[in-house]
Amino acid sequence: MITKIKNILSEHDLTDDKLSKLLSVSCPKGIDFSDIYFEYSASESWSIEDGIVKNGTSIIDSGVGIRSITADKTGFAYSNTFEFSDLRRAAQMSRSIAPFNGEKEFKPGSDIDYKKLYEAGSPLDRIDDLKKVIFLKEMDDYIRSKNSDVEQVIINLAASHTSMFVVNSDGERASDERPLVRFNVMVIIKKGDRRERGSAGGGGRFYYDQIFDQNFSRKFADEAVRQARVNLEAINSKAGSITVVLGPGWPGVLLHEAIGHGLEGDFNRKQTSAYSGCVGQKVASSDCTIVDDGTLSNRRGSLSIDDEASPTECTTLIENGILKGYMQDKLNARLMSTKSTGNGRRESYAHLPMPRMTNTFMMPGAFEPSEIISSVKNGIYAANFSGGQVDITNGQFVFTASEAYLIEDGKVTKPIKGMTLIGNGPDVLKKVSMVGNDLKLDDGVGTCGKDGQSVPVGVGQPTLKIDEITVGGTEV
Amino acid sequence: MSESGNRVLEHKENILKTTSSMNKNTQAQFNLSISNGVTINYRSNQLENIEHHNDTSLTVTVYNDFKKGSASTNNLSFDSIKQTLDKATNIAINTQKDNCQGLPRESFTTCESQDIGIYYPKQFEIDEATELTKICESAGFEYDKRISNSEGSSYSQSNSECLILNSQGMYGHFKSTDYSLSCVMLAGDNQAMERDYWYSSTRKHENLESPQEIGKKASSRAISRLNAKTISSRVCPIIFPAEVATSFFNNFLSAINGHAIYKKSSFLLDKLGSEIFPEFITIREDPSIVEGMGTRPFDSDGVLTERKNIINKGILETYLLDTYSARKLNLNCTGNGVLTNILVESSEEQTDNLINLVDEGVIITEMMGSGANLLTGDYSRGAFGYYFKDGQIKYPVTGITVASNLTQMFKNILHVGKDYDIRGNIRTGSILIDKVTIGGT
Repeated sequence: MITKIKNILSEHDLTDDKLSKLLSVSCPKGIDFSDIYFEYSASESWSIEDGIVKNGTSIIDSGVGIRSITADKTGFAYSNTFEFSDLRRAAQMSRSIAPFNGEKEFKPGSDIDYKKLYEAGSPLDRIDDLKKVIFLKEMDDYIRSKNSDVEQVIINLAASHTSMFVVNSDGERASDERPLVRFNVMVIIKKGDRRERGSAGGGGRFYYDQIFDQNFSRKFADEAVRQARVNLEAINSKAGSITVVLGPGWPGVLLHEAIGHGLEGDFNRKQTSAYSGCVGQKVASSDCTIVDDGTLSNRRGSLSIDDEASPTECTTLIENGILKGYMQDKLNARLMSTKSTGNGRRESYAHLPMPRMTNTFMMPGAFEPSEIISSVKNGIYAANFSGGQVDITNGQFVFTASEAYLIEDGKVTKPIKGMTLIGNGPDVLKKVSMVGNDLKLDDGVGTCGKDGQSVPVGVGQPTLKIDEITVGGTEV
Repeated sequence: MSESGNRVLEHKENILKTTSSMNKNTQAQFNLSISNGVTINYRSNQLENIEHHNDTSLTVTVYNDFKKGSASTNNLSFDSIKQTLDKATNIAINTQKDNCQGLPRESFTTCESQDIGIYYPKQFEIDEATELTKICESAGFEYDKRISNSEGSSYSQSNSECLILNSQGMYGHFKSTDYSLSCVMLAGDNQAMERDYWYSSTRKHENLESPQEIGKKASSRAISRLNAKTISSRVCPIIFPAEVATSFFNNFLSAINGHAIYKKSSFLLDKLGSEIFPEFITIREDPSIVEGMGTRPFDSDGVLTERKNIINKGILETYLLDTYSARKLNLNCTGNGVLTNILVESSEEQTDNLINLVDEGVIITEMMGSGANLLTGDYSRGAFGYYFKDGQIKYPVTGITVASNLTQMFKNILHVGKDYDIRGNIRTGSILIDKVTIGGT
């Protein structure tokens, strides 16, 4: 087992027997399932602004979440101390979801086997704080010396290291250590009276070394500046229904919103999703094959094992347009008589697990990206997005472009600003008419919110064409 | 659900003890928040979830020769507090000098504890809470045959305490309670399903809206969304109902935040003294409203919050400044390390039926996506709403976008209704805005 958790357990005399005793409290007769989730998380962030590294922040958060499930009912409590008496109290609160009918006995569980997808160490301690400060200074200098018209540069560097250990009433136990780093650049450039912003960033489950490699970080710095310059030339866009070509990579956030959330097990078990009961049906054009893959090495959205001790998988959601299955956690899988797909995730010990996405992307198609653009007489090329949102019940989704252009006579021409796309997931995916051969995953900065819980995720897609979608703009 | 005041005093002692070994040139600030509560969810005629919450967070901010470092922990043992202080001190060795950093020098709180009318604790009773949510969901189901499903009714209550201390002798403490009851209902079938919700949020349990009303409103809102159409693109007046108008005014408040201003990342840069809204609009901040959702005696640095006009007869009178941004801009701090209660007022006679004021337009009941660019004021968001004409709602509209620029939208406000929403810290009525671009088919 991993050091941090081991220390916590031994410091508080939480032996295997004590853990089994806790399970007897949280999982008495009448409770179907219970798990106890230990977590110790250290995170930090550093930022430079106005050319000064103004602040550094360090956060330590640790605790234990205990959950008791009977049928589709869940009791939950947590403690941010590790005393056995506090944990027993949390277990009693958790089991109060069902009447108490006497205790069951538990034996120590066995460790679940899984493949490690990332290094175990902490990115925070492997490098002196001073080096982080110097890196930010150098990046700031690099941007300012190359671009005299830059008005503001804000660079953030953040890392976290989460150690988790989960033990459950099915006799399973697992622990994992998860590094995560992230680097973001935002610049504001002024031209005449106009100010525009550009931003870029990257990261994943690795150490700072990769970010401190200039080939990695300067690419994002240049990208942020380029985007701000494009936006300075952008013209107002026209509102209406039009053909849109989405660029590869981050625009895959469309899939995340338009279809990903709607295929999470909880919504489908409760029949509140626009995709409820649609397995086996055609829900997208035959060019669309979409997967959720938590097993990619070092990716921001990846997990070696999920927060419920299920190893992650590559789950095919849609194959050639046909809906194949949902993303499941243990609770929803059991209620729908299927297996967990390793998508049971929680923001922390203080949150309940739910079915959540990992890295969700569309598989490549046959077309060259240039062929796709030249097939459009009149449309929009959306190269990048800032974010999106979905109503899973009616399928309506929205997202906002941070970089977009007009397509005129098969050529990408003027940049346009302030553009929002709105569509209906099931509807829009049927209008995908060309899929490129240039699958790209995002650079590792995505965070997904659901029910107030944030988790890191990845998205991706090749260049693709949607025949018709509504875009917002100020011109009619 | 009863965290005693003595616990906080004990933490205060521990915190002060850690500062005894601190270097003389070092300043430190401690922000402690402790909250505990329960949330239950009742769905499909049974209690589905009980979640007990119990959160602690201590943040230590250290200033050493104008260099800043901060660190947080959720462990309040003496050793842990000491380690957190040391961590913040170490960070401040490596960060860089910024002359605007430091503790507030004036008008900070020194109150031991005060009753500001936002703390009304109540013992959690599972049976009572279950009954409330049961009535709420049942009222939702019984409202109409077209109600087909539910995401349930939720009740939550929490007690919070906030303590601030600094090495200059500042000390502030207050307690608050929050209660909420909500319901999410679904209408229609698999071919066309719609979901909507309603909620009540208060400082006092007894002030929650009746569960029947909440359930019925959730259902009536879900049903009214069925059979929505899209409309053609056009420029027309729109109405933001009070609950949507709050987020619209929030864009304004974010754009005049001192941090956005000194970073030159706001479209309202250099606009102090300029006319931002029509003359009939005044926007005030009042931090001391009894039972107010934004009521607070001091901000995140311990600076006393103050009553003031932000917009006076359309003119921008102040930015929202905390200690740091005020020093950056060479202005006086306004105690806006937090935003308290904001009141949007109209000097004109207010009505609650805005659709009678123009021939036709769209009521926007839901906004989606994050399309407000506060650097440029460009505004483009997805929306759901209702088309109205000749004083009558005609049909629901979906798949539309709303676009304009915030500068113009603020100036084009024609009316502020009298149907104030007081469930959050921004209190406004519905607003009618002229000349907004609707994107549709």
